[in-house]
Amino acid sequence: MKSHSAWGTSKSLVKFRIPTSDNLVPIRLDIEIDGQRFRDAFTWNPSDPDSEVVVFAKRTVKDLKLPPAFVTQIAQSIQTQLTEFRSYEGQDMYTGERVVPIKLDLRVNHTLIKDHFLWELNNFESDPEEFARNFCKDMGIEDPEVGPAIAIAIREQLYEIAVQSVTSAKESRISKKGRRAGEFYSASKTGGNAVDLVKLFGNKSSVIRKRKEWDVYEPIVDLLSNEEVDALEAKEERNIR
Amino acid sequence: MEKIFQDLEPYSVPSYSNWFSWSNIHEVERFSLREFFDGSSITRSPRIYKEYRDFIISKYREDPSRKLTFTEVRKSLVGDISILHKVFTFLEKWGLINFDVKSDKEADNCNGNCKPISVGGEEEEEGWRGRVKVEEGAPYGVRVVAAPNSMKPVATLPPPPSVRADGGRGVGEVGENGFKWPPLASYSDVFGDSVQQEKKKVLACGSCKENCDSSHYEYTKEGSFILCEKCFKSGNYEKNKLADDFKLINSGDQSVVWTEAETLLLLESVLKHGDDWDLVAQDVQTKSKLDCISKLMELPFGDLMFGSANRKSKFLDVTGDESNFKQAQLHFNESQESAKVEDPSHGLKDEGQQNGYADTQGQPLKRIRTEPTSNTSYSLMNQVARISTAVGPHVTASAAEAAVTALCYENQCSREIFDEDDNYADLKASAENIEQKRAAQGNLLDGDERPKQSEIQGPSSHKDTIQINLRMRAATATALGAAAAHAKCLADQEEREMEHLMATMIEAQLKKLKRKMKYFDDLELIMEKENAHIEELEESLVADRLNVLQRIFDAGISRWRDHASVKSQTGSVQ
Repeated sequence: MKSHSAWGTSKSLVKFRIPTSDNLVPIRLDIEIDGQRFRDAFTWNPSDPDSEVVVFAKRTVKDLKLPPAFVTQIAQSIQTQLTEFRSYEGQDMYTGERVVPIKLDLRVNHTLIKDHFLWELNNFESDPEEFARNFCKDMGIEDPEVGPAIAIAIREQLYEIAVQSVTSAKESRISKKGRRAGEFYSASKTGGNAVDLVKLFGNKSSVIRKRKEWDVYEPIVDLLSNEEVDALEAKEERNIR
Repeated sequence: MEKIFQDLEPYSVPSYSNWFSWSNIHEVERFSLREFFDGSSITRSPRIYKEYRDFIISKYREDPSRKLTFTEVRKSLVGDISILHKVFTFLEKWGLINFDVKSDKEADNCNGNCKPISVGGEEEEEGWRGRVKVEEGAPYGVRVVAAPNSMKPVATLPPPPSVRADGGRGVGEVGENGFKWPPLASYSDVFGDSVQQEKKKVLACGSCKENCDSSHYEYTKEGSFILCEKCFKSGNYEKNKLADDFKLINSGDQSVVWTEAETLLLLESVLKHGDDWDLVAQDVQTKSKLDCISKLMELPFGDLMFGSANRKSKFLDVTGDESNFKQAQLHFNESQESAKVEDPSHGLKDEGQQNGYADTQGQPLKRIRTEPTSNTSYSLMNQVARISTAVGPHVTASAAEAAVTALCYENQCSREIFDEDDNYADLKASAENIEQKRAAQGNLLDGDERPKQSEIQGPSSHKDTIQINLRMRAATATALGAAAAHAKCLADQEEREMEHLMATMIEAQLKKLKRKMKYFDDLELIMEKENAHIEELEESLVADRLNVLQRIFDAGISRWRDHASVKSQTGSVQ
């Protein structure tokens, strides 16, 4: 089987990384100090030196005029997430052919986004940012914070899936029998995420989706009024607490 | 399928895409989307590709006048979203979909190079503009106060069309706790300027829809309606608006004029706050942050203000040192010039000495450190000067002192020159001054004392220099003379000794001769006496003979018969 360079061959082991063209880690911050809440999400390049973390934290606090107590918290949070990422880094993960569904359900300022699509996991040249850009362009979203938010949401999900594949790789190595049923991972073996490729792409089916399913996969972008935003925020905070 | 197509108008496809056919997959497709054709995955196969392609093109052709977006099609297609997008852009690039769709930019792109449409802020906006109705003439957005503290309005994002102009508080929201978040610095820093600039550039008059060049009239009541000058003058307003309600705004007015008071405020606040431009902008209330920064950069020393909080003290010190050094340089140059002026005025025996001296004074100027050479071809003064530069100034000064005292002690005439109290002190001071000036060349940091001293010495340096020269020469001459005299003394003494010895020798010889002569004299005397004595004897002898003879006569002796007898007589006499 010939293989395109960007696409991992089945059952190949690759060092852990985010399966996108840029190995960027999604970082999410949600810090509360003295009643002030700071939420943010961004991507971080794990090959940056760790000294950059503190610099970034300081800069953020300065730009946003937060109380200085945030600096250490921010830096710590980033550092923790980075360390977690790095703990996976030396390990192997399977990059068999897997197409996973990605769901978006996020609110950025006034924009509410719901979406559902498929993402190929072993496409190491995939670019969430490009997807987000196209999305915003096509949907006519002007708020520039939406694009990055979408990209980060995608990355987070990919990150999670990659972590799962690392653990499953470990498991399969531990158990001698190994999970080598066929070349493709069926849904049950990978933790229920992946799509059954044979079913979808096999010769018997069409890749054109049935109409009734179109709604499922259609992106929904809602622009909310202020009251709705407030209401949603209140609900979110109640959920968290 | 082809039957259906025959009933309709032919779709326009660019000429470079006429390789396309429904029933085949062309080489171009195989090449550009090779991941479908290399069998690398079950998710990609030629069949799958064909399905994607056909669906997308058909979807587009359902309504060729509207631009088909990727999002519309991807919900209907199963597959990795990235690869779907790739197919979509491929088709769009080749004009098989979205060809000749309105939106000027895209048409240009397609007619020309037909690249996939790049996403940029402006293009996004314009594409969007084509879709959404925009309020006429007004720049987007309502001016919004971004944060509780800042007075400056932030150019917010344009409100989404579904939200009316009253809303759109944009980013500056009141959270639950009454805390207002300032806008994320990244966006407003990066895009705020360009949006503002766009605003400035794209000021379209409300009535004639042309760009307002320099000044425009803003309708104060509504705040978002502007007219260009021409329209205002020609009375070409909307119905309800009166002339009085319009306010003249000269664009570019505020940002250019900086009054002195503002500049002063700016500098003070920068010194106080340093890098915190928000606070600076607050202090200088009439100017924005950017204005402050750009004004500061324009000011000649403004660059030094950046980060001035740290460097304040150092800055002043540096300038202080520099001014001191320059002062020292100046004074040295002055005295140097005065020295050089006087030099030709003295008539000198030895020009070489003078030049050598001037040279050495000049040399420390050119080279901070001079190597003392043992080159004896230079004059004595030269050597003395060089050696004095090699050792410290105080050493040289005290050496000069000692030499002077010694000379005074030995020689009377030199004392005449040197032995005036104030002159002596001056000599010492000015000798030190010279040494100090030379030292100052090598050691720039003691700027404070030198200028003062050299100032004091300045007026008196003229007079001192003459006396110093004379004294130096006199001292040298005296030294040489003393040496010569001493040598002569020694020589004389040597001669005398030699003479003395010679005399002694001669005397001795004379004595010897005299004694010899005396000896001979004595001998002569003796000889004479003996001579006399002998003569006496002789005479006596003669006398005796005579006597004898006489007697004979007297005795009448017979004749000489008897020789024998005579002989016997004579013999007996004997």
